[in-house]
Amino acid sequence: MNVESLFENVLKTLNESLDVASRLIEKKDGKIGMIFLKSMTDNLLFSKAVFEPLSKLDSIEFEKVKQCIEPNDVELVGKDEIVEKIINGAVIVVTSKSEQFLAVDLLKFATRVPSEPPTSPVLMGPREGFVEDLKTNLTLLRRRFRSQSLVLEQASVGKITKTQVVIAYLDGVADKNVVKKIRKKLEKADIDGVVDSYYLVSFLSDRPRSILKQVGCSEKPDIVAAKMLEGRVAVIVDNSPIVLTVPFVFFEDIQNSNDYYTNYAFSTFMRVIRVFAFVMAVLGPGVYIALQLFHYNILPIKYLITIADSTQQIPFTPFIEILFISLLFQILYEVSLRLPSYLGMATSIVGALILGDTGVKAGLISPPSVIVVAIAKIALYTIPEQSAQITIAQFVFLMLGSSLGLLGVVGGAIYMITYANSLENFGAPYLAPFSPFVLSDNKDALLKVPLANMNKRPLSLNNKNVYRCNDDEK
Amino acid sequence: MRNNSVSAWQVGILLFVLLLTNKILMLPSLLYEDAKLEVWIVLLVLFAFEMGLIVLFWRLKVKYPNQTFMSLMQAFFGKWVTKIFFVLVMLFCLGKALLLYNVTYIFFKSVIYKDANNLLYLIAFFPVVVHLAVSGLRVVGRTMQMFFPALVVTILFCIGVGLLGAGETPLAFQSTGLALTRSVFRHISAFGDSIFLFLIMDKVKIEKGKWKVVFLFSTFSLVLVGAICMVFVFSYSYTSFMHPFALFEIMSYVKEYGGLGRIDIVAIVLIIALTYFQLALYLRMFVLSFDNVFVGLRVFYSVATFVFLFVMLVTFVILNVSKTILFGEKVLPYFAVLPFALLPVVVLVLLFGRRVKEGEP
Repeated sequence: MNVESLFENVLKTLNESLDVASRLIEKKDGKIGMIFLKSMTDNLLFSKAVFEPLSKLDSIEFEKVKQCIEPNDVELVGKDEIVEKIINGAVIVVTSKSEQFLAVDLLKFATRVPSEPPTSPVLMGPREGFVEDLKTNLTLLRRRFRSQSLVLEQASVGKITKTQVVIAYLDGVADKNVVKKIRKKLEKADIDGVVDSYYLVSFLSDRPRSILKQVGCSEKPDIVAAKMLEGRVAVIVDNSPIVLTVPFVFFEDIQNSNDYYTNYAFSTFMRVIRVFAFVMAVLGPGVYIALQLFHYNILPIKYLITIADSTQQIPFTPFIEILFISLLFQILYEVSLRLPSYLGMATSIVGALILGDTGVKAGLISPPSVIVVAIAKIALYTIPEQSAQITIAQFVFLMLGSSLGLLGVVGGAIYMITYANSLENFGAPYLAPFSPFVLSDNKDALLKVPLANMNKRPLSLNNKNVYRCNDDEK
Repeated sequence: MRNNSVSAWQVGILLFVLLLTNKILMLPSLLYEDAKLEVWIVLLVLFAFEMGLIVLFWRLKVKYPNQTFMSLMQAFFGKWVTKIFFVLVMLFCLGKALLLYNVTYIFFKSVIYKDANNLLYLIAFFPVVVHLAVSGLRVVGRTMQMFFPALVVTILFCIGVGLLGAGETPLAFQSTGLALTRSVFRHISAFGDSIFLFLIMDKVKIEKGKWKVVFLFSTFSLVLVGAICMVFVFSYSYTSFMHPFALFEIMSYVKEYGGLGRIDIVAIVLIIALTYFQLALYLRMFVLSFDNVFVGLRVFYSVATFVFLFVMLVTFVILNVSKTILFGEKVLPYFAVLPFALLPVVVLVLLFGRRVKEGEP
């Protein structure tokens, strides 16, 4: 075989990328060639485990070459697989005497060490989070399931990126129909590239245009493992630290990993607080404006006087005032996300303290409005996973409250809940276990009973095996 | 439209809302006009009528667990009689929806939105009502299931607060038998909502032994209606006829609690929520009947017909207090012939007639 011309062809196929490297070792009886991507392989290991041993060989016989590098992950591949293997971090070894090709897996790239994810810190409990490397993520998951139940299925999505996607579930627990449906949805995903797991969310959602979140996501292996134990299926995407889980129900986001590592009564209390905060975040500004504009006579007289005193000098209508403060907050939020943390802090101080205080003193905004918006915005982050949806809902209810009063707010709430009820994600009702009401699932919904009493998996997920431990009770 | 089945609990909750909503605002005051302190006698008679309909449905469902009411009627009475029957049901639903809307409109206009016009109310109500109605029976059932605990707690709270203001009015007989009979006739149209069950007969999936849930919810709903009426009458006694909005009035009797402000807002929110649900159920009933009259038409046509007729009638015919009361007391009682005379006869024929096989035309 002409090694040089083969390498030339490979180089052409890879568009003469600058990270393509090749090495030739000339021997008495011919040549040994190696081609790989410098950016995807472990260069040190290549030198020590492939190049050096091959240099010391006195012959280019294929079997000897193979034996020489066999301690590594070696595979015999066909000519048409060469490019794919190189892209995936393999070194292709060929000899001028043989028509066979050896792929040595030396994939290595810079990756983060598992650390506590910034999105879900815990007081107690595991602090490690998923990283961008698929292999590491699978290890993190496998460590939690040291039994044959864990099934990992591979798929590839993205016409150009060919991103590796792993479907993970527990055999005998997860509903196989859900796995089948995910497989089909991934096969049908018509997309050029998947650069993060979020790219797959709309393909996995039953109603992609809905503003409601339909796929669960987590950065923590312990959360994903717990969800899988409940019968959910995880979708792990290469290059993404966020693992997706389906089926998803709304009350998953009311739960928090802290709930499982602390006293159950306290967890219940905190869940009630979260629901209260959710309602305040969604309805707070809308109800306040409805009361101020349409139902002011129901307010206690002292409070009414306070509001009247503080708002009488304001040049804007209450709606414009609240809208202005809310938009200002969103701008600050956007700025603090994009700027480096030290600048973000400064901007927050300028925005929240100086602008807010000066706005009130200048008579542009009233203190009650600032307080209402601030409470609503703080409450929003008790359920950070739902912050996008809550923010949109806040503005919708603000408009409904200002135009129709409580009639609009109540109507909007009924509309929203009806819409949420019409969603069924992979067969699980979106607002389960409250509507439809499933008694046994309520052991871990708003209430949380001690783990020892949670002997059943959520019935609303259509699990294959309802009982967590005792199979005889089935 | 998604037409999925509903469980015994969901049927119970649907019935709870249906039997409650249109009886807690204007009815107690109107009942007092004729029946005076013997309102409870009129209520007992009307409750018996309503429960009778539910019992008839239960027997019919036990005999024909999987068939639609339309197919049964067609098998016995033929195609055209069935169509006429369902046209009457459509008119019944439209009439009841109109009355409910007008009563609520008058209430809101006098209590909250004094300057608002009819168009604003239509804009506020219809998107939500249509969305609820076309989302499918199961979705509506689930939504009401979600709201149910809040509804019950709020109603009990209202009754509790009302009891604080209730006087010690004796249950003295002040009314005559004739007046009571007249009151029953005048207000019978506020009842008969259980006709809804017959329209969703094939979608109701009630396991053996679960019927008690349905009876429990309907009885509970009627007990709450009775409680609201009696608390209202005891609160306002001889001036009850001057206070048209019962649930709201019993709350405004006790205005402030612990510096929290006027708690009659609780009644307002409750009335708003119940009105949305009730109007949606009437629209749903209209759509189901429309489907039986004009078979194969898309749901758009039935909803559009309802909305068109509703808007026209509300805008040009009956939008003030006197016309609404006239409509409720003089016109609608004749519509009550449908649930309390025609329907029982039909059901009795179906129950005691020959057995209809599934798929029989």
